[in-house]
Amino acid sequence: NKGNSFLFQRKPLACLPLAPALRARLVAAGFQTAQELLDTGPCGLSKEIGISKEEALEALQVVRQECHSDATQTAGAPGTSRKCTALELLEQEQAQGFIITFCSALDNILGGGVQLTKITEICGEPGVGKTQLCMQLAVDVQIPECFGGLAGEAVFIDTEGSFMVDRVVDVATACVQHCQLIAEAHQEEDHLKALETFSLESILSHIYYFRCRDYIELLAQVYLLPDFLSEHSKVRLVVIDGIAFPFRHDFEDLSLRTRLLNGLAQQLIIVANDHKAAVILTNQMTTRIGQSQSTLVPALGESWGHAATVRLIFHWDNNQRLATLYKSPSQKESTIPYHITVSISFKMEIQRWEQSVSCEELFRDL
Amino acid sequence: MAPKKLRRARLSQELCERLSRYQITTCQDFLCLSLLDLMKVTGQSYRNVQKLLCKVSLACAPKMQTAYEMKVRRAVNPSSAFLSTSLHGLDKVLHGGVPCGSLTEITSPPGCGKTQFCIMMSVLATLPVSMGGLDGAVIYIDTESAFSAERLVEIAGNRFPAYFDSDEKLFSMTRSIYLYRELTCGSVLKRIKSLEEEIISKKVKLIIIDSVASVVRKEFDTKLQGNLTERSNFLARGASLLKYLAEEFSIPFNCKSEDLL
Repeated sequence: NKGNSFLFQRKPLACLPLAPALRARLVAAGFQTAQELLDTGPCGLSKEIGISKEEALEALQVVRQECHSDATQTAGAPGTSRKCTALELLEQEQAQGFIITFCSALDNILGGGVQLTKITEICGEPGVGKTQLCMQLAVDVQIPECFGGLAGEAVFIDTEGSFMVDRVVDVATACVQHCQLIAEAHQEEDHLKALETFSLESILSHIYYFRCRDYIELLAQVYLLPDFLSEHSKVRLVVIDGIAFPFRHDFEDLSLRTRLLNGLAQQLIIVANDHKAAVILTNQMTTRIGQSQSTLVPALGESWGHAATVRLIFHWDNNQRLATLYKSPSQKESTIPYHITVSISFKMEIQRWEQSVSCEELFRDL
Repeated sequence: MAPKKLRRARLSQELCERLSRYQITTCQDFLCLSLLDLMKVTGQSYRNVQKLLCKVSLACAPKMQTAYEMKVRRAVNPSSAFLSTSLHGLDKVLHGGVPCGSLTEITSPPGCGKTQFCIMMSVLATLPVSMGGLDGAVIYIDTESAFSAERLVEIAGNRFPAYFDSDEKLFSMTRSIYLYRELTCGSVLKRIKSLEEEIISKKVKLIIIDSVASVVRKEFDTKLQGNLTERSNFLARGASLLKYLAEEFSIPFNCKSEDLL
């Protein structure tokens, strides 16, 4: 392949992933391109630069690897190439599934549900329902394909300890019941077959839970995510519940914090794309003190705002919970109300419970 | 919770020595560097550095459990999932009582009965499991000097006359409640840090902080600039320490605060 090797001949040393000390030596010795290295061979290299033969061989293998991966990229081999036309992308996007939230208003403003290969950020004050939505999505991603789901699995990374197994059991039970109702109404073969494996036990077994107590554990877990997702290829959802919490205290060096957060965001984008997964991050709100008033804004600063593709802000208006689509490349900004219910079929509201038990009753016994 | 040293991450001796020359001794230092910086300090190629990153990450990352395993573990010990408050209505709304293994915050304007509630929870925690208690000791961190031992004995005697039928029983209950008076934010944080060993040695089953708001209000006047971030820092650090203890030992925490801000 004459064309490729010509390009490769001219590849300067700075582009090769060699150890910096080694590269410095090569440059000092006068080497300029990759082809020169390959032509010299390991023995010649070791004599000229003064490194051992094994080190020289290792360096040449790295160079050869680069040449090979370069060639496959220019030949357009699928999988290694990251470029495609907009038409191919359109076809991919239209065929792509969404993870539904079971709140039709929310699914509507999102354009169908939570998108795969994108990072969605949910911001809101404590108690507004961010973790509830995450737990719901961890169940919904597992809905079988014949019921309109993705038949995927979920990774749940918890930094605040808000994950409640009992609540997930409630949500999963309601979801199974919902699918059973659909199956009864339609009486189709594949529906009944899917229900055999779509049970409470299987849903819970496919939520992979990691409890990260500080930012180091979070960083470490995100570094290990690509390997974990390669081993568990059915994972279609990665939730990080509480991206802000580990970074909001004990960080005097704000520039380090920004750098670490940016690194995290980049790694998560790669994970989302390579594994066709949706990444959900929940963020806290913080007070921005202005000239005359203070407003609630998402935490972690302005530069973090660029990390997520889609941003949802959950907030209160008197006793009503509202969700606002704040940032999205394809949908327009809008606000909808939502509720947190015990289950779809019973439609009882937790807020009603809270109001019915008055304070006098509680303290009468004391 | 001190940062882990690199040699415990199974890195080679010579690599650890080389890194320590750049003042990189813990996994924390290692993971906070960018890939290019790591290549420089380790002197290794891109791919090798990626492998090293995975190795160090494996030493720091948490263990995976499925939601199913978590459910099974809770089912094995159902009585230890909640501490009943003995108030029927409240238990119903809380789905069982104050949950073990997490923080519960009680907040209200002054005079509503928060301290009384905390004193009663202390009595309940010392009761045997058969009576809905946790059969354990209580750590009570008091920042307002509001705790009254006489009131504690009065509540116990009136609420459970059949159980506390002798002075001996009352005194054994009061012996299991460890009271600490802390008057500044710094001392509260220090006390929380020292709790880990106390919980194990004294078989503590409930921790109460009464109250978080009073120390914070005394020290951080929010009208002064800069105080807001320091105050949030203190609260966040305290909260993460308490959460770690709560989950590690599966104990309920009661934190009292009045309307803060």
